[in-house]
Amino acid sequence: MDLDRALRIAASGMDMQTRRLRVVAENLANRDTTAETPGGDPYRRKTVTFTNRFDRELGANAPKVRRVGTDPREFNSRFDPSHPAADNRGYVKTPNVNSTIEVMDMREAQRSYSANLSVLEVTRGMLTRTIEAMR
Amino acid sequence: MDPTRTGPIALSEQRIRWLEARQRVLAQNIANADTPNYRPSDLQPFAKVLAGKVSERPMLTTNANHLQGSKQNDGRASKERIAANREPGGNSVSLDREAIRVAETDTAHQMALSVRRRYMSMFMTALGRPQQ
Repeated sequence: MDLDRALRIAASGMDMQTRRLRVVAENLANRDTTAETPGGDPYRRKTVTFTNRFDRELGANAPKVRRVGTDPREFNSRFDPSHPAADNRGYVKTPNVNSTIEVMDMREAQRSYSANLSVLEVTRGMLTRTIEAMR
Repeated sequence: MDPTRTGPIALSEQRIRWLEARQRVLAQNIANADTPNYRPSDLQPFAKVLAGKVSERPMLTTNANHLQGSKQNDGRASKERIAANREPGGNSVSLDREAIRVAETDTAHQMALSVRRRYMSMFMTALGRPQQ
């Protein structure tokens, strides 16, 4: 049934945005995670990429998370000789997480999530009306 | 006389079927609003379906070598050609446009159902039963 499928497609969209939000949360939480050994690499920002695959059961292109990769950009560094992870010149590598980018990503995920949610609500309304018509 | 085969009721049921199928296509577009290289699709207009120019249930193909009708009389979802706002990632879904379509579908569904209910209650009156 088409409405049932529409509900499941919207749910898969919401699921995908939730995963994206989880990666954003991980990045923001690890914004200050540095290495434990001198000169070591700190937390590397994670990125999530989407793809869609034709789902035969749904009869539609349902979105999927392709993979959670890492951001290859260079780490930032800060001069802090007293830090346990400082190298011999006194610099500490800090994660390549930019909080502005993460917040932007979070906003976009939120917007897409609510778009899917309203599709879910409208579809549910259509379904309820159809059931009422049978009375 | 079968009341479900006469004009308005059969028409509203066809309309409801089309609207449900469209809702599924729109849900797919919105769910893929952030998928790279995704182009939104939409069904052929209902007027075209009614005029018999497109078939609602065309032959399904599971292989590219299977016979297929021409794209124009395919009642299933077809990709949109106009990419109004293409993102750098190749995605051209506009959430606003899709939201308007969802609202349209919702209203039309409500109307088709009311038309159907009205006509059914008319038959009920003719049968001497209390109206629904």
